[in-house]
Amino acid sequence: MKGSDALKMAAPEVLESDLPLALSLLNNLQEQVVAVTAQIQALTKKVQAGAYPTDKGLSFLEVKDQLLLMYLMDLSYLILDKASGSSLQEHPAILRLVEIRTVLEKLRPLDQKLKYQIDKLVRTAVTGSLSENDPLRFKPHPSNMISKLSSEDEDDEETEEGQSGTSGKKATKGAPRKYIPPRLVPVHYDETEAEREKKLLERAKKRALSSSVIRELKEQYSDAPEEIRDSRHPHATRQSQEDQHRIKYEESMMVRLSVSKREKGRRRRANAMSSQLHSLTHFSDISALTGGTPHLDEDQNPIKKRKKMLKKGRKKKGFRRRR
Amino acid sequence: VNDTVTIRPRRLMTSRFLQNKQIVIDVLHPGKAELRKTDLNHFKSHKMYKTAPDVIFVFGFRTHFGRSKTTGFGLCFYAKGNESKHRLKKHSLYKKEKTSRKQNKEGKNRIKSKGAGAGATPWRCHSKLR
Repeated sequence: MKGSDALKMAAPEVLESDLPLALSLLNNLQEQVVAVTAQIQALTKKVQAGAYPTDKGLSFLEVKDQLLLMYLMDLSYLILDKASGSSLQEHPAILRLVEIRTVLEKLRPLDQKLKYQIDKLVRTAVTGSLSENDPLRFKPHPSNMISKLSSEDEDDEETEEGQSGTSGKKATKGAPRKYIPPRLVPVHYDETEAEREKKLLERAKKRALSSSVIRELKEQYSDAPEEIRDSRHPHATRQSQEDQHRIKYEESMMVRLSVSKREKGRRRRANAMSSQLHSLTHFSDISALTGGTPHLDEDQNPIKKRKKMLKKGRKKKGFRRRR
Repeated sequence: VNDTVTIRPRRLMTSRFLQNKQIVIDVLHPGKAELRKTDLNHFKSHKMYKTAPDVIFVFGFRTHFGRSKTTGFGLCFYAKGNESKHRLKKHSLYKKEKTSRKQNKEGKNRIKSKGAGAGATPWRCHSKLR
């Protein structure tokens, strides 16, 4: 074909400029090959002498070692064949290479998960003890919580038990049970401020995307048919749902619950708001999508004001006034 | 504006453990604003209920917004002595003995110091440590 002919007969100028470069590269290659063979021979001698025992190590790493070695062997066989001029078509080593490669790819996420533990083990082996800021140094010591006195003092343990939150068992009265550690791998918490802010921003964006403004825009521009959903009562507020819950409870338990002042205030405010057509002009906040800062409407968040006022009047007189 | 009052019982539950029947009562009174407790208790002696009025107790009536409906609870006991004391007191069927706490304690200590056979009622130790 024309293309291959053009390749075979490259212009003589290109050949001439390439020739010395190729010669120097080939010489380099020879030197490097000699150095590498020397190193590998030293390594094999050491391994055969048993300087690297691996029977007490992680079997996962052992598997990886063997796979990489097999990969190298197949690869070198391929190179050998190619260098002596034969074609690589339907070479038996190619299939083996592909297989080993897929297995290695599948092992990679496992590797990620074990990375922290392996690093820590290696560091511990090198330095001889746990490092200064290793989180394992801060683990709870359950043996310190069990009372060393006689069984009469076991009632005190129940209050102190809350802090070992990872184990779900409570101390029972009588003989203390054996502490079974939780099956969790400790992972280091390294979320920076920037990451936290990014997460908050993402969440705000998600909320803004599902707000009514954006939803209406979507409906306007999409080709999908208008979906009629089984809608809840349009005036179902949180307060009305709480009221229903309270009524259900009262009727099933046959008791009347007392209404605190805060509840009364909330109820009054809910009634007032629903009669004020307040929600007509207040849409949800989509500033996360537009990039502006969220501005708080005065009448949407009156709670913060009230909290501040309470804190001011915290004397005894204020108490009486509250009653 | 009529003055009829309709009583509609709603959720009836029979409790064999507490030996009573519990019921949620809806009272519709489109004319009146509120019902008085005396009126409500008057219904206890209605002939529709086949028991005596002293085992029926109603309580907890709250009027809904709009003032034409009131909801409350009612209990009907199998036997006479099972109702809680504060409710019996409201209907003056129970009277608490006016024993003074101090007098009780002094009496007990007197018996303790004199020994077990010291009075008509021997004092027994009810401590939890036993």
